[in-house]
Parts: sequence; C-alpha cells; structure tokens
Amino acid sequence: MRKQDLRRLSEYLWEVPATFRDDMRVPARLYASERLLEDILEVDDQSLEQLVNTATLPGLVGYALAMPDIHQGYGFPIGGVVASRTSDGIISPGGVGFDINCGVRVLASNVAFEEVEPHLRDLVEALYHNCPSGVGRGGHLKLSRGQFEQLLQEGAEWALKQGYAEPEDLERTEEYGRLRAADPSKVSKRAIDRGIEQVGTLGAGNHFIEVDRIDEIYDEEAAAAMGLVKGNIAVQIHCGSRGFGHQVCSDYVDHFQGVIHRYGIKLPDRQLICAPFNSPEGQAYFAAMCAAANYAFANRQVLAYHIRRTFEQVLAGKVRDWHLRQVYDIAHNMAKVEKHEVDGKRVEVVVHRKGATRAFGPGFEGLPEEYRSIGQPVLVPGSMGTASWILVGTPASMAQTFGSTCHGAGRVMSRSQAKKQIRGEALRQKLEQGGIAVRAGSMAGLAEEAPQAYKDVDEVVRTVSGAGIARKVARLVPVGVIKG
Amino acid sequence: MAEKPAWEEVNHTADWALRVRGQDLRTLFENAARGMIGLIGGEADPNRSPVSLSIELQAFDWEVLLVKWLAELLYLIEDEGMVFTNVHVQRVEDFSLRAEVSGIPGGRFGKYIKAVTYHNLAIRRTANGYETTIVFDV
Repeated sequence: MRKQDLRRLSEYLWEVPATFRDDMRVPARLYASERLLEDILEVDDQSLEQLVNTATLPGLVGYALAMPDIHQGYGFPIGGVVASRTSDGIISPGGVGFDINCGVRVLASNVAFEEVEPHLRDLVEALYHNCPSGVGRGGHLKLSRGQFEQLLQEGAEWALKQGYAEPEDLERTEEYGRLRAADPSKVSKRAIDRGIEQVGTLGAGNHFIEVDRIDEIYDEEAAAAMGLVKGNIAVQIHCGSRGFGHQVCSDYVDHFQGVIHRYGIKLPDRQLICAPFNSPEGQAYFAAMCAAANYAFANRQVLAYHIRRTFEQVLAGKVRDWHLRQVYDIAHNMAKVEKHEVDGKRVEVVVHRKGATRAFGPGFEGLPEEYRSIGQPVLVPGSMGTASWILVGTPASMAQTFGSTCHGAGRVMSRSQAKKQIRGEALRQKLEQGGIAVRAGSMAGLAEEAPQAYKDVDEVVRTVSGAGIARKVARLVPVGVIKG
Repeated sequence: MAEKPAWEEVNHTADWALRVRGQDLRTLFENAARGMIGLIGGEADPNRSPVSLSIELQAFDWEVLLVKWLAELLYLIEDEGMVFTNVHVQRVEDFSLRAEVSGIPGGRFGKYIKAVTYHNLAIRRTANGYETTIVFDV
C-alpha cells in the first residue's frame, strides 16, 4: 500500500476508503502519527493489506480499525478491531487468534523501589523459580477433569474459591474474570489434555513477568484511584490461555474450513475463517472461546498468587509493606458481545480485538466503584528495556473505536532479522548494565524480543492519547524481567 | 544455477514463516515437517529411549492436510516433549497422509510455536514440483 491510498482525517487518523478494493464492506481506519505511518509503510509487512482484508467480513458496522501498534499478523493484523452485528454478522476464530484472552495484569505495591533494590536480584530469581515458564512446562496444580471443567466455567471465580485470589482482584478484572457463556462441552479432549497441567504457567515467546518502577504520573486523580505512587514498585504479567486456547482455536479454524461454503462467505485469506454468530458453529466456537478466556483469567490469577507469595518470601521483614494490590486485568485477544452506538442507534455487535485492548470510558457499569468516574484502566506493556503505560478509556474511545485502544508497542523487526542482528547473551548484559535484572529460559528467545524489534511505545501512547482514544495515567520502567 | 533449498525462513514481523519446496507432495510434506522441527530445535534427554509412531490423517484439501500434519507434530512436541530424530512421510494421496516418525520424549525446548496458521496458505505447482509458504504463530 502507498501513502496516497490513505486519506488523512485528522492529525492521528487515516482512512482507506471502501472503494479501495471491490470486496471491502466498510472503510478501514488507522490511528497513527505521521511518523508511525511512515514506519509502517517502510516496513511494508502487509499489515495494512491485512487491515483491508478485515474490512471484507460480513455484518461489519462502522469501520475496520487498526491501532498505532499495528503490525503483521496472520489473518487480522495485530492491533486490529472490527465489530460485526450479532443479528447477521460473524464470529471469527482466526480473528481472535490462537492465544485466546492473551492479556495483561498489573499489581501495584506500597513499597518504594529504593527499599526493594538491594533484594531485586533475589526477587527476580525467586519469581523465575516459583512461576513455571518455558515451552510446554506444567504448573504446580494437579486438577481432576471435573475440577478443570469448573475452572473453564468459572475463570477467576474458581481461583478465588481455591484461595488463589483476593475478592478485590475479581472486581478489578475485565468481566470480573468470568465469561458466563463458557461451555466446556464445546472443547475437544485434546484441548483439555493440553491445558489441564498448564494452569498457573507463563509459557514462552513474548510472555513475561516484569517488575517495574512507577516512573511518572500523568493523572493524579486516576493514579490515586488505582493506588499508583511515583517511585513505587509494580508488577506486570503478560500471558494467555496456553496450549488450551491454542487448541480451541486450531480445532475451530480447522472445522470452519469445511463448513464456510454453507454460508456463502468468501474470504481473501483462509485464516480469516468465520461463521455466522447465530449459526450452530458460531455459537459453539463462542462458548469454547469463553471457556479459553476463563482459563486465561484463572491462569493469570494463579500466577498473581505465586508472585504475591514470592514477594512475601523474599521481602518479608526487609521492607515495610510487600503486599501487591491488583490494579486491573485486561484481555487483548478476544471477541466480546457488546452494545455500541452506530449511526445514532444502539447495536449489539461482536467486537473482535486482536492485539487491541478494551478501553471503556467513565460511567461504564462493569467497573468497580473506585474506577467508575475515571474510566477503565488500560494496560500497555512496552518491550523489554523500555517503558510500559497505564491509561484509561475515554468517551472518545466509546464513540470512535468501539471502546478500544492499543495493546503494546508493536513489532517493527522480524524475528529472523532480530536473531541475526542481536545476540541474546549480549542483550542480557546490556539490560543488566542498564539496571534491569533479567532471568530468561532461552537466550535465543530473548534476542527475538529485543527492544530494537519493537516500535517506540511512547510514540504509540502519544498517538492514542492525541487521538483521544485513551488518556495517560502512569508510565512504568522495568527493573526486573522474567521470561520463559 | 544453485538448487533452491528444501525450506528457508521468510521474514515475518511477528511470527515465523517458512517457504517449503518438494519435488512431489510427499516430499513437500516431509520437508515442511523437517523445516518446522528445525525452527524449534530441542535438546533430547540422554536418559530416555527413542520411540516410533505411525501417524495417519485425513482432510478435504491439501492445505488442511498440511496444517493438520504439522499441528500433530507440534502436539507431540508440547505434550510429550518429543525431540524428533526422523520423519518419514510414506504416502500422501487423496487428501490423506501416512507417516512414521521417531523421536526421544522428555526433551527441552528453548523456542515455541503456538500453532500452524492458514494465513495466505496455498500449495502451488512449480516447474520443479510444489511450493508453499507456512506462517506459524509464535
């Protein structure tokens, strides 16, 4: 795609008109500063073509959207958002992706970085030891099939009943950590086999636990509501539904390949595979996807438990207060049934967010009392060695983006390029010299996730903030990184 | 002119992509498996004995068969920790596949593929046989 194919609507918003390609049903819109757009065009990684492809899906309302952290995915671009009517639209397992409810949780402390600093290396080592990570690695939990099915139905509520959560954790989780449409009978035996031993595990790839220092506060009122204090320690968890979610997605992507012809849907890419939301296939996938989402909520909750225990183990008696309070937990790969205003009418839609975050504005009833006036917290992890952000949703995100915003920095460099250019051990040493304690299971994996492989997260956040689809609250910088 | 490689990594911003070639479909499927296994690597447990398995799969087109085949191997890697030592595709016909694979379970892996995708997946005839590009979610 060329720059002249996009029409500039405002400083941070660009549009590809629906006339660009015959099969587009709605225009495609990209949130990007001019600098980010030029980077996207220079990388030329097909992400804008993928955005246009999503605009061809049946039942779409408004626009096919992309956030400034857009980059090449498979099917949908990463950073893509579409809303399809529940009445005559679709649900796409390919659109949600394999890591269903991959998401981020942030925990905040009352302890200053300076107090923790002498124990930081011990803390990172203990977190690596206590939070199972790596390829296919099993967790500490041994569950029966019945217990596992209960977990799939109840998500974080299951974790609360088992003693892995504090009640406030659930209030500060998207959908209170439980999607009620979950139905374990819609998932395969293989998905259960893959997932049953992995509850409470981090996995590998771009998943991580990060210990951060709160570097700057931009909105005092919102930060106070979230308990964020400049200079204090916070922890981020980034992971999803592990092998369970991957199998659920694979099962339905395979199955739908054989049924799509029944519904007369033509797609520009087979990975965009979908079925009508109201069809038996669409409903079965939705129920299975909700089970995988609950798995991910429970998974992050059990990891949060291990992290709290680790803080106690390492810091008790050495610092004044080692307790970690949950700030929020959000998904960034999910399809959700929501109501949004389209052309002056409230319409029920399935909002697909693929590498994008829900960002509901102030007044949203699904938020706990203390957040209702500030808007939903949005957690935006950056790359290792750079900043991460906490934002809040706004009235503009509700009006323009189906209550959505960015989810991270977004990649600019391929994994093969990163491997060629960056040595894992050299990167680890550089991060350590910069004051970041690193514990990683794989040096090659570390190299692929190097900060150079990612966009400038500050520019991404400047863009969503400038466009008004999120508001800055706090900036975090890493002091410890744990990767599988 | 040098012969094109049986598989090679292609640039992809977020994930891994492999271009795979084969003089016939059987070789293409075998090379795809070898390429994917090469991407993941793995360290075998010296105390475990090798095992052999037969795999039989059926689909309704070649692309679906290819995804199912590679997904089956990924499952064995994740579930059994299988470090494959040999992959032999015996037969590929009528959208079905039969293969014999050997490996050592209980291995350790530094890298991980979440899934095999259908992104722009198409098996094409070329002057020298068949070619395809497979994108893996990592």
